[in-house]
Amino acid sequence: MQGDEADLSLLERLRAGDANALEALMGQYSARVYRLAYGITRAAGDAEEVVQDVFLTVCRKSESFEGRAALGSWIYRITTNAALNKRRGKRQEVETALEEQLPSFKADGHREGDRAYVLADWSQNPERDLLSGETREVLQGAIDRLPEHYRAVLVLRDVEELSNEEVAEVTGESVPSVKSRLHRARMALREQLTRHLGPRA
Amino acid sequence: MTCKEAIAKLAEYLDGELTSVVQKQLEAHLKTCPPCRAYLATYRKTKELAAKVNRVDMPEDLKARLRALLIDRIRARPAGG
Repeated sequence: MQGDEADLSLLERLRAGDANALEALMGQYSARVYRLAYGITRAAGDAEEVVQDVFLTVCRKSESFEGRAALGSWIYRITTNAALNKRRGKRQEVETALEEQLPSFKADGHREGDRAYVLADWSQNPERDLLSGETREVLQGAIDRLPEHYRAVLVLRDVEELSNEEVAEVTGESVPSVKSRLHRARMALREQLTRHLGPRA
Repeated sequence: MTCKEAIAKLAEYLDGELTSVVQKQLEAHLKTCPPCRAYLATYRKTKELAAKVNRVDMPEDLKARLRALLIDRIRARPAGG
């Protein structure tokens, strides 16, 4: 993502104290910044502090934005770093080892687990059931338990719909690492949902 | 292709990033493997559901507080400085 003229002129007007530029910046980015901050921190209070920090940083550092990357990428990067910092020290409160939530395989490459479990397909259940009540709680709990770097990648890819390359640029990881984290995060969530919705053991 | 290999490729499959040879191998595996078909269907659905529950709205009062905080900040600075 390359910065364009419009990004640069928006920041220039912001530096000159133009309130309309601030409105435009907030209109374009505040909802996305909040969503990403909440997605990583998973706490409304923390997300709010991150949003304020991010916009203060953007106002303060607008001179140093050189347009090498798009403004959106730059803002996503500031947000990701601020949200991960906010999580520092709170790590492992609820996060569990991801390995336990990934599918396991036999030596011949077939899935481990009983037949009814590996055949469980709840994807056609009504979406209002999948997104409400206990199932929603299971999914929210599973997202809470993901390690924060996995949540960052999951939100950037599946909610903000950035490409693997863009996510790598924002998080400073390699593309293979982004792909691996995304896949493992989705698998962990799928496993939790299937344990809840699949046949009772 | 084994189930383990098939499942490892699902993200790239959904992104359309597999080479046509590998994609054909994966699709051939899916055709004969009901557990992997169920896995793909639930994996795809999980991706959609997680995106939906993560789509939270910013509280309106936060937007107002943010605007007030920033407007003071940008106006306190000398124009062009």
